Amino acid sequence: MPQEPQITGMSGRHRAVFFWGLVLVFLLVLPVMIFYTTGYRLSFEDDVTTVVTTGGVYVSTQSLAVDVYLDEDQVERPRLFRSAYYIQNIDAGLRRVVVQGEGVQTWVKLVPVDPRIVTEVAAFNVPTTPRLRPITQLQTSAGAAVLEGAQASTTIFGVGTSTEAYVIATTSVARTSYTVNPEYEFVQRLFGTSTAAVVNESVFAEFRQDQDRFRFVSPQERNATTSTSTPVVIERNDMRLQSRAEELYAVWQGSQDNIPYYFCITNTNASTTAARYGQHVAAAVYATSTATSSPIFMIDDRTCRTEIKLDRLRQDVYLFDFFPGSSDLVLLHLQDGLYVTEIDDRSWQNTQLLLPGVDFQTIIENEVIYIKQNDFYFEIIPEIET
Amino acid sequence: MSDNSHLLPYARRADFKVARATELTGRDRRFYRFLEIVPGVAAWGTLIGIVWASIYASFFAAYFIIAFAIYWVLKTIFLSYHVRHNYKRLKHHMELDWGRLIERFKCDDFYHLVIFPYYQEPLEVLDDAMKGLSQAKYDPKKLIVVLAAEERAGEDSVNQAYEIERKYASQFGHFLVTVHPADVVGEIAGKGSNVHHALCEVRSKVIDPATIPYKQILTSIFDIDTVIYPDYFNCLMWHFMTAEQPFKSAFQPVPLFTNNLWEAPAISRVMAMSSTFWQMIMQERPDKAATFSSHSVSFQALYEIGYGQANVVSEDSRIYWNLMVANDGNFDVVSLSYPIAMDATTAPSTWGTIKNIYKQHRRWTYGVENWCYLIYHFTKNKNIPLKKRWSVALLQGEGYWSLVTNPIMLFILGWTPIFLGTREFHETVLSYELPIMVRNLLTVAMAGLVFSSILALSLTPPRPAGYSRFRYVVMALQWIMVPITMIVFSAIPGLDAQTRLMLGRYMGFWVTPKRLQN
Repeated sequence: MPQEPQITGMSGRHRAVFFWGLVLVFLLVLPVMIFYTTGYRLSFEDDVTTVVTTGGVYVSTQSLAVDVYLDEDQVERPRLFRSAYYIQNIDAGLRRVVVQGEGVQTWVKLVPVDPRIVTEVAAFNVPTTPRLRPITQLQTSAGAAVLEGAQASTTIFGVGTSTEAYVIATTSVARTSYTVNPEYEFVQRLFGTSTAAVVNESVFAEFRQDQDRFRFVSPQERNATTSTSTPVVIERNDMRLQSRAEELYAVWQGSQDNIPYYFCITNTNASTTAARYGQHVAAAVYATSTATSSPIFMIDDRTCRTEIKLDRLRQDVYLFDFFPGSSDLVLLHLQDGLYVTEIDDRSWQNTQLLLPGVDFQTIIENEVIYIKQNDFYFEIIPEIET
Repeated sequence: MSDNSHLLPYARRADFKVARATELTGRDRRFYRFLEIVPGVAAWGTLIGIVWASIYASFFAAYFIIAFAIYWVLKTIFLSYHVRHNYKRLKHHMELDWGRLIERFKCDDFYHLVIFPYYQEPLEVLDDAMKGLSQAKYDPKKLIVVLAAEERAGEDSVNQAYEIERKYASQFGHFLVTVHPADVVGEIAGKGSNVHHALCEVRSKVIDPATIPYKQILTSIFDIDTVIYPDYFNCLMWHFMTAEQPFKSAFQPVPLFTNNLWEAPAISRVMAMSSTFWQMIMQERPDKAATFSSHSVSFQALYEIGYGQANVVSEDSRIYWNLMVANDGNFDVVSLSYPIAMDATTAPSTWGTIKNIYKQHRRWTYGVENWCYLIYHFTKNKNIPLKKRWSVALLQGEGYWSLVTNPIMLFILGWTPIFLGTREFHETVLSYELPIMVRNLLTVAMAGLVFSSILALSLTPPRPAGYSRFRYVVMALQWIMVPITMIVFSAIPGLDAQTRLMLGRYMGFWVTPKRLQN
């Protein structure tokens, strides 16, 4: 048994050395951490150690079943159940972001990456094969749609697939064995109203009639003349979709502080803007800079527009509206089908075909897209099953 | 007029035992009131400042948060290192035969005065305390035991003391039951005033009649749930005999809140062990410590300051500051690194336990009143070395400030620049990297919890019959609650206490209910 305790308290010197050692670690680590979180990285390329400044890209996707690529390199998937990707350590320059997946259309965008700045993009991927939910007058006791008549299901669904189980009934089957589907009544009433897109009736029809009235007037006079046509205007949150002349525009109505990122570009000259964002963006920015109707404004070191023209693929527009659940995506019923397009026009506007065809009507009610085709009603399911 | 000749010169001042600004007049009163406001303003100012900076100076706030997260990781390493060292020392001290170690000293003439103040605790709590005392490896005839009852607790409570006296008095050298009168003007009803009364009583009724020199009495003031380990008095004696200045030292054991650890809910166990760990850290930093809860000190030292204060809430620490100020800064804390067992805070229901822990920690964190006392007397007593005044003031101030602000800054406000930051900030790499960086640093800091978990398990008493081995797993995993307990039972009660002091809504003494199960 020892005569004295063998373990004594920590001496003042011991504690002081430990304390000041940690202070030293703090002083060394802090600047490193601050530089790192600001975007500075060490580069060892070509056996030369240099400090480079990097940026980032933040990609939000609508589906968990897609892969994100940056310049051909697949980005590691985020944690479970997250659909946003933060891609770090990207050298400044133009970067190609691709979001693709099985069964969905590919979204591609060329984005400029600046040092210490994170560029935001929002991808969307609609199914390659349209997904339709039949809404029939009758349904089985289990809730399955009952398609009446002799038409084969492939004819009914066209190029699409059904998201629901259904049965095809022949006329010999007693209707009393099925129940009436109340949704059918509802949808039928919807298409009975004037809000439904009428096949082959352009949203610009009224404007064209106006144009015809001034047919013999010079173009300058025509523009100066007050049009009597009422532009179609649709609003969601602070975003407005409107037709003007024969074009569609997305116009930001909210405060400058809350303007979506894609309305703004980093301050540069016209040629650099064209190289970074596309010629159309440069033209739009520098044309609107002198316009009074859609002014531009500066926030920090960025120039922001308040209006973006939507790409209608040089087709006539039968209907346009916000894509359900989004104020950044627009649904366009064009001559050869139903499309989804993004307002973000940096590099280009991704436009994806939701449903091909020339002989259907569309209506959007309560964030649901309904179509009527050959006297059948469907809901379009714009996502794939994950 | 009472005789103050036995008091140290500084302890004779009328304001020596000031408890709050309202007891002073003129400039002193205004200055003390200002001091009462400072901690609350500092805490609220910090928290509001971070929110403000997040909105209007997001980059600065982000850099500050990164610096703070790194500081937190290093602080975790720093504290864990101290705990680890003290754990080794504690285990070593528990294995030593202190009775043999003190054989070389001439300490047969020394007495141990043990004071157990209590309020309405059940009889079995009192009985366990006495049982622990009777099993001490120390000559029981050298023990002067005082059971300090409260008149306001009622006749039944007082009678318990006499019942205990009948059962145990013969085993000890002296046994005294004191009854602290209710509603004494100038006192706060609580442990401090009860102990003060007991010390006066035992001097006049036991010590002076027995002509025991004050310098030969070591006074241990124990919470009633304190159950001593057998070698406590030998260990205390050894440290007293080997201390640089034994009559100018307070002796602090390590409180292990393990009496009812197996019965206590997880949240109570986490808080109990966290408190133990904090005391273990302070054992390795005695020059930065003050007394806490159960502790020991020479009777002579207490007599020289007129005992502790009867008008404060945090009397266990205040008694040390009284001694330090009265002795011109020349008073030490000596770490015993030897345990005493106490109760973890519990109640019959989980909600009751949560409420009790909250109230107990609010009372502990109301110890910020000591900071006001210190600064006030540091400006008065110029005999205390300036360096000591500054170091103690800053250290204690930082302690109370960080107790309240750090958990909130770390786990809540760390994210505010991301939510409240400017648009310009949101577009930067810094904005995206900040949460990743803070999360990673906190994960590293949380590694300290694994260490805590292992240490806590090794300090846990043997599993009683009727408890499943699975409870060990729960005891290991319970530490994931620490981020919550730090906010709910440290930061918020601390902020509550400091706000009350800031607003002049002075707190009274809240007695933590004790529940011991056999």
